[in-house]
Amino acid sequence: MPTEDAPDDLMPHPSFVTVDGLEGRLARVELPDGTTEDWPLASLPPGVKEGDVIRLTVHGGDLEAEIDHAQTHERLTAAQADTDALNAGAPTGDVDL
Amino acid sequence: MKRALCLLALSLGLAHAQRAPAGVLTIRFLDVGQGDAILITSPEGKSVLYDGGRSESRMRELIRQYDVPSLDLIAASHGDADHITGLIPAAALFKPRFLLNNGVAATTQTWAKLTNILKLAGTQGLPARNQVLNLGSVRLTVLPPPAGMPAGDQNLNSVGLIVQYGSFRALLTGDSETEQTRAWLRTLPGGTLGPVDVYKSIHHGAANGDSAAWLAAVQPRNVVVSVGPNNYGHPTSTALNLYRKVGAAVFRTDLQGTVTVTVQPGGAYRITTEKGAATPAAVPVKPAPTPAPVVPAAPANVTYPNCAAVRAAGKSPLLRGQPGYSSKLDRDGDGRACE
Repeated sequence: MPTEDAPDDLMPHPSFVTVDGLEGRLARVELPDGTTEDWPLASLPPGVKEGDVIRLTVHGGDLEAEIDHAQTHERLTAAQADTDALNAGAPTGDVDL
Repeated sequence: MKRALCLLALSLGLAHAQRAPAGVLTIRFLDVGQGDAILITSPEGKSVLYDGGRSESRMRELIRQYDVPSLDLIAASHGDADHITGLIPAAALFKPRFLLNNGVAATTQTWAKLTNILKLAGTQGLPARNQVLNLGSVRLTVLPPPAGMPAGDQNLNSVGLIVQYGSFRALLTGDSETEQTRAWLRTLPGGTLGPVDVYKSIHHGAANGDSAAWLAAVQPRNVVVSVGPNNYGHPTSTALNLYRKVGAAVFRTDLQGTVTVTVQPGGAYRITTEKGAATPAAVPVKPAPTPAPVVPAAPANVTYPNCAAVRAAGKSPLLRGQPGYSSKLDRDGDGRACE
């Protein structure tokens, strides 16, 4: 988790993390630098799902987290297009490596 | 001076590099901490990396340690970071011909980085479908996610792989959870799954992965749990107890480091570990200091005088048709001796 006593001006506004996976009461989130951390699921918005982009903002010293549905959709659309392009023209039948 | 030290370190690294030997199938369950990475090298020297673990730097170390010369295919069982991050340096270094994947994009930067590098490398994506991949003389049967899995759930869309060489069989199924394994049980033709000589524990031994029904079909003789320090309680006692109940020998990368399976032509195999030996499930083990070969391959004509010998060999329960099975060891005649 980001340190709770971090001064507001140390956190870019807003900051985004991505939910890489849910593991019981923990969520593995991808930080802006690409590394992952385990955060309590309770610290994230209710109903959060794998793949959601979370917008983090600091207001008056309090960290607020909300699902950024627009950015989640935008990223998913772009990533799926890239994945589909990669898979286009794949051979069918047995493949000799 | 710095240059000399670098050269010394490089030479020491090369001196300890352990390239997979020619003429045998080598499967390494790489010690990548909490995550999965399985390196499969055919007798002809062709290699596949099924998942890459959570760390780019760790994968670079392992590539050096095992002196990997090339990769023909990399596979992302699914898009979670603890499975695909290490595929990034592997893709950049080897420019593999193919990426086997589940076709379900992840929204992470890690997934975007991997697909960008593969695009630059000219790698062809292979969306998982009912397909056989011939890795030299090793047959890799793809198990695509069953129809109807939720599109947004990576674990439930894990790509499975059956590795066959002679009579030897191994099964890898990523982080598939019970909903997926139930669907596979409903849809796969009988006999597709087990018995399996070496089986990768689902989802690092999570409680939502392996089940009694699934393991009854898989019939694993040896289970490898690819796991490292984690906050999730992996491997769970639930999973370890399931492995104990089916009589499988259990190997753990957190306790024993990289686990290597060497398969001779015909299918006889042995399992070795960096440290320690196979453990009964659910029993904590202190790692031993010296590597020890374990679970020697059972020849087809092996006989066991009693069930104690079967258990000592880590083979209980013996199923009808397996080497060493006899009716005298199966008093209730249910086809499972020394239960």
